[in-house]
Amino acid sequence: MSALQCLALTVERGSTEVLRGIDLELAPGEVVGLLGVSGSGKSTLLGTIAGFVRPKAGEVWLQGRMVSSPRRSVAPERRALGVVFQGTALWPHMTAGETVAYPLRRQGVDRSRARAAALELLDKLGVGALSERRPAELSGGEQQRVAVARAFARGAAVHLLDEPTAHLDAAHRRRLLDVLAEIRAASGAAVLHATHDVEEAMSMADRLAVLRAGRIIQAGPPAEVYAQPTDVEVARLTGPASVLIAEVEAVGQGCAEVAIGSRRVPVAVGGAFTGRRAHLLVRPEWAQLGGQLPGTVRRAWYRGAHTDYRLATEGGEVEVRQPGPPVARAGENVTWRLDRAWPLPNGAD
Amino acid sequence: MGRRLCAAGALLLLGLLVVLPLLRLISAVAAGGTVGLAAAFDGPDLAALINTGWTALAVTVLAVTAGAGTALLTERRRPPGRRWLRVAIIGPLLVPNYVAAIAWQRAYGRAGLTDQLLGLTLPGLEGPAGIVLVMAVGAVPLSYLIIAGGLTAAAEPDRERAARVSGARPLRAAAGITLPLLRPALVAAAVLSFASAASAFGVPQVLGSPAGFSTLATRIYRDLNFATDEAAFARVLVAACVLLVLALLAATAADASLGRGRDRPGGPAEPGSGAGSAWALLPVAFALLLLVGLPLLALVLEAVTRAAGLPPTPANWTLANFAAALQGNAFRALLNSLLLAALAASLSVAMGAVVVVTGGRAARAVGAAVTASFAIAGSALAVAVLLVYGEWLRDTLALILIAYLAKFWALGHRPLAGAADRLPADVFRAARASGAGPIDMLVSVVAPLFRPVLAAAWLLVFVTAVHEVTMSSLLYGPGSETLAVVVLNLQQLGDPTVTSALGVILTLLLALPAAALLGLRPARSAL
Repeated sequence: MSALQCLALTVERGSTEVLRGIDLELAPGEVVGLLGVSGSGKSTLLGTIAGFVRPKAGEVWLQGRMVSSPRRSVAPERRALGVVFQGTALWPHMTAGETVAYPLRRQGVDRSRARAAALELLDKLGVGALSERRPAELSGGEQQRVAVARAFARGAAVHLLDEPTAHLDAAHRRRLLDVLAEIRAASGAAVLHATHDVEEAMSMADRLAVLRAGRIIQAGPPAEVYAQPTDVEVARLTGPASVLIAEVEAVGQGCAEVAIGSRRVPVAVGGAFTGRRAHLLVRPEWAQLGGQLPGTVRRAWYRGAHTDYRLATEGGEVEVRQPGPPVARAGENVTWRLDRAWPLPNGAD
Repeated sequence: MGRRLCAAGALLLLGLLVVLPLLRLISAVAAGGTVGLAAAFDGPDLAALINTGWTALAVTVLAVTAGAGTALLTERRRPPGRRWLRVAIIGPLLVPNYVAAIAWQRAYGRAGLTDQLLGLTLPGLEGPAGIVLVMAVGAVPLSYLIIAGGLTAAAEPDRERAARVSGARPLRAAAGITLPLLRPALVAAAVLSFASAASAFGVPQVLGSPAGFSTLATRIYRDLNFATDEAAFARVLVAACVLLVLALLAATAADASLGRGRDRPGGPAEPGSGAGSAWALLPVAFALLLLVGLPLLALVLEAVTRAAGLPPTPANWTLANFAAALQGNAFRALLNSLLLAALAASLSVAMGAVVVVTGGRAARAVGAAVTASFAIAGSALAVAVLLVYGEWLRDTLALILIAYLAKFWALGHRPLAGAADRLPADVFRAARASGAGPIDMLVSVVAPLFRPVLAAAWLLVFVTAVHEVTMSSLLYGPGSETLAVVVLNLQQLGDPTVTSALGVILTLLLALPAAALLGLRPARSAL
């Protein structure tokens, strides 16, 4: 029995479809990252699962129970979900302790036990000392932790996180993700984690679902989506990407000969492909400086652990990653090497 | 330098318009001593105080309940045609309260429309019940605006949703989350309703005097304009002072209730779940029809009927009443009203701008004082102004203008201050950093940004001033009547059909331009 299942879910706002035929399944304890730019429908999907939005077509099932369809809608409070809202949605008139105790009180837990459990949860999230404070007296990161504690207080089997780190700076974001991962693992709950941040999605999720214009255009393990995106947009959404248009000739299983300008080089390619002309995705770490291909450095970005170079080559512009500080300046002629590439399935013109 | 000047000007104006008159009023009452107080508070005046208190409370309860109900309907249920529903709910703002009272008489009173058609009259219309009902209907639009604003700002839908997913049933979430979040808006709406109902003069005068029911405001009017005994003026002073205290009490209660930390507005509210049901509209539409539509229709019908008592059928229609209405001093009164309102609007907005430009702590202090002076009952303010400036300016428009400026400064100031608060200071710094000098910045950035809000504030004061009757009825003299005063006098002494015609003119005067404006832009008030 899956923890959460969306079947051909379609949602309309006004007369426009904001979600179209969403099929999505979460196994118990699975974390799925919902990746998409803002406006792609992430919040609407979470809202539909939580019961705030009624679908035009399709169904939502939670732990073997149908909770949403165009005709039937179980009230949000009876769905046994934990939700972290994008803007925290904390209640300004309640202290952190009262806020986290609220879901427990609604389950019928008596006041002192609920307070004790809330305090324990806040402690786990590192904000136990702040339980008497109201939201206005908390920093953004602290507010978000309280919101997380409220969501997990119910002990639900499924959690929906809507951009939980949206308003946090990099350091607070990393710390919040740490405690999120910890508390998630301890609860064993399934999580649908919506974000536009690819690093967040990849590091948190067992599986990614990429949402674009209300459709899931690709789903799979993060490494697979990263290495084998279906098209250039997914490629760009999931990391730095260059696309070479090149003549390709298969020479064996997962290996091909690629013509870049006047030279032909052997390159590892994942999966099968047809046709001679291909849009080849190149991630920066799939290519290196030094080799037989000529190129000119357009720009170099020093990023601490490594340096990214953008090269003008006979096959177009390519980004190449090299450990260490910059070794070549803009305008310098260099040589480079292509180790690996991915022919985009939907890359044809 | 400029700011210092502005601060000095604002303080001087505050002193001349508000502080000095009020001090004079209080000292005059104190001079009368306890004997005067005791004399003023025997029998009828005590009854008037009690009447004022309980009618104002009843109006407050009704207006806040109805305002909250309609606000929840338009902001949460999202019925189809929401925009027009908003316009319909706010629309009655454009009908002066005493004109509404006259319209109710014409619709539901003796020989009114329903009496003629169905033989039905509303029992108690002339008396406290009718006063409360008509004032409550008049107070709903503002209460609705304030609460709807609170719903969208503080009580963003995600907070209710968070309660629902935490396991709270709808009623639980409403009681535990929405209501506490709405408290500031509810308190503000209640204070405004109470203050305006306690100081209301037009409606109690129209509906109360036939039944011998008086409030403090109508007592002041009667004692000042008609009484001849010496004690009358002492009674006026005491009643004015009591109204002042009532306003202070309301303001203090609000302050105590709202003193807690203010909420930072949340993120953008995700639109709610699809379109709500149209069925929820029925009761609201029905109420609007009965409470606003029918009375106005009755008023218009009588205005075009040849003589009072004739059935309002096309055979009896005429436009002669309108011609008659504008004869005599009514036309001059109309000009007086327009001139006064235009002056009051322009000067109030200018004075509001002076306070905003002052900036900093001084502006906040003056702004608070200005807002508080808006809560002072018109009768009290008028009596205070009369005490200070009556000697020199008796029977002139200037006397009325001074009272208007003291009262409506807040209406000119609040929208501007609100807009200035919402604008990040960087907007102006960016203009300077882009190479604009102070004048250049004023023309290219400040003026375009503030133009809509200036226009809204101007209109707000203009509309309120044209409607105003409490202060002008106490301060007018031969030659300085306002149209509202003429309507009120006609209502008591003159031809009912001509009164109705004048009431229609007074309403259309504002309703037509306002309707044009509402048609152009979404119905969001500047308040």
